[in-house]
Amino acid sequence: MRSRVAFKILLHDRSTTAGALIGVIAIVFLVGQQISVLFGLFTYMSVLVDHGGADIWICSKNTDNINGAGYIPERYVDRVSGLAEVAWAEPLLFGGASLVTRDGKNEAVQVVGLRNPRGAAGPWRFYEGGQDGLLEFEGVTIERLDAKLYGSPQVGDSIEIGNVHVRVSAITQSVKGFAGRLVFTNMVKAHEIIKSPPGRCKAVLVKLNDGVNLQAALERVRSVLPGAEVLSAAELSRMTRIYYVKNTGMGGSFGLSTLIGALVGIIIITLTMYTGVLQRQKDFAVLRALGARKLDIFIIVLAQSLMIGIVGVFIGFLLLAGFLSGTLDSPLPSYLPLWIAPVLAGTTLAMCVLGSLLAMRKAISVEPASVFR
Amino acid sequence: MIQPILQLESVTRDFSDGRTIRRVLYKTDMSIFPGEFTIIAGPSGSGKTTLLTIMGLILKPTEGEISIQNERVTHLPENRLATVRQQKYGFVFQQAELLPALNVIENVVVASGIQGQKVSAGLRKKAAELLDGFGMGDCLSMTTQQLSGGQKQRVAIARALINAPALLLCDEPTSALDSESSTIVLDALKQLSKDTTRGLIMVTHDPRVFPYADRLIKIENGSIVYDSRSQGAQEA
Ligand SMILES: Nc1ncnc2c1ncn2[C@@H]1O[C@H](COP(=O)(O)OP(=O)(O)O)[C@@H](O)[C@H]1O
Ligand SMILES: [Mg+2]
Repeated sequence: MRSRVAFKILLHDRSTTAGALIGVIAIVFLVGQQISVLFGLFTYMSVLVDHGGADIWICSKNTDNINGAGYIPERYVDRVSGLAEVAWAEPLLFGGASLVTRDGKNEAVQVVGLRNPRGAAGPWRFYEGGQDGLLEFEGVTIERLDAKLYGSPQVGDSIEIGNVHVRVSAITQSVKGFAGRLVFTNMVKAHEIIKSPPGRCKAVLVKLNDGVNLQAALERVRSVLPGAEVLSAAELSRMTRIYYVKNTGMGGSFGLSTLIGALVGIIIITLTMYTGVLQRQKDFAVLRALGARKLDIFIIVLAQSLMIGIVGVFIGFLLLAGFLSGTLDSPLPSYLPLWIAPVLAGTTLAMCVLGSLLAMRKAISVEPASVFR
Repeated sequence: MIQPILQLESVTRDFSDGRTIRRVLYKTDMSIFPGEFTIIAGPSGSGKTTLLTIMGLILKPTEGEISIQNERVTHLPENRLATVRQQKYGFVFQQAELLPALNVIENVVVASGIQGQKVSAGLRKKAAELLDGFGMGDCLSMTTQQLSGGQKQRVAIARALINAPALLLCDEPTSALDSESSTIVLDALKQLSKDTTRGLIMVTHDPRVFPYADRLIKIENGSIVYDSRSQGAQEA
């Protein structure tokens, strides 16, 4: 009967219930949206590493984020491809250049050069055309989400990047990086565009044979190339994200807005739940007189906060799903790892209960004697 | 000889306003017997509600002992007192004090389920019968806002009876009602008072209800000044 009373009071006091619900929805949506943008940016930061398809990355010594890697000799490829553990090794080149748009403006892009025919670390999703486009000597890909900025060039159109004439041979979809708008091409064209020193690249990607122990392979490559930084893809990805979070103040800024979202939600919940109890003080006093213990009153308010929490989390997630599907394939980065959902739901419920503490305290302190006055 | 259902021994009550302590109920000894309509009357501020809430285990006496069915309950912890209230007491207040969020029948069964007990179909049936007995059989699923004052008070009486209490305590249950509704409520209480398993105490300041009393107790300035029971004993 307690939870029924709790539920009926919520139904009866619609405006307070709606207010508290808004608090919960605010937490789920604001915090969830911040987290999804943060994780979206995370995926951008280490996008090349995560989609490279390699187990091990060889970079210049002391590389602590992939976008800050220096040049290394391209012949490292041959030094490691002979190792028994290695299935293949491929060089990767990337660097900034400027793209001349239709109306003559310059837009900074990040040019990525791959070695054909394997094309390791190539684009992973295409809107038009495919990996084959990069087999063309002058072929480059552009990103659909950036195309408008460049003046909407079509496949087959000529454009100029770093004073080099190239041709759009494919259009990627949602292939976005953190260090700049990604343009993929072949190794030779990339050298030409970036004007990088000959015989050098930014990284060597190593794919291991099946069943090879990663740690052992890392040690083996390190012993062959003591002058290079040899990292597993996972480690390099992690280091890159940490580098940006630390050095851009992004962590703090996202942390702050997440905190504000949570705080706004908790304050709304606290205020509305408290006024809800104030409105119902007489009812609680009557129940106490009729034999309700403090525990029973506590359970009623707790049940109310959980009901509001569960419904609010549900609505919040619906909105969040709307936001995520709305920003899918849009320039706004958003990505919510699945494991975040239960964590967010759990913390929101906890915050909802936390926000009800003041209301609970008020409710259990109601004196049954007050009914008689 | 009939056993008292409720006993007060040397009960007093003081209230303090922070600086001064004021005695609101002077030393009172009293036994309440089942099967009679006990009315406690006195002017406003004389201590009727104080006495009634002490009897109802809602207010702690400053001194003295309270026994229900020969069991001392004065020093039970608060949550035990709540359980005793639920099991042995029914309360009717000045206003009906129904929960507006609940419908009529829920307002009755809530008194039975408030400590988390399941509300059985049998209990709902009993509630419906009680309500029917007070002429409220057609209003079971109405909201409380749809009821008149007198109807509300009858629902409140049904609520007070749902746990088959040993004691029914009423604090000026008719003072907010028109005379017609008052008569209905008083007649109902009079009927209920005949049950020899239950003690019925009503507090009032209205001398017009005195004729309903089987036993009349008068209180003034916190002291019992008249008790028809001992008066009768003296006269005999
Ligand atoms: N909680 C309280 N604190 C202080 N004084 C109180 C309190 N409750 C009642 N009183 C005082 O006790 C006296 C008796 O009150 P009460 O028992 O309510 O009288 P009645 O019900 O006969 O009108 C009154 O003077 C009232 O002001
Ligand atoms: Mg009173």
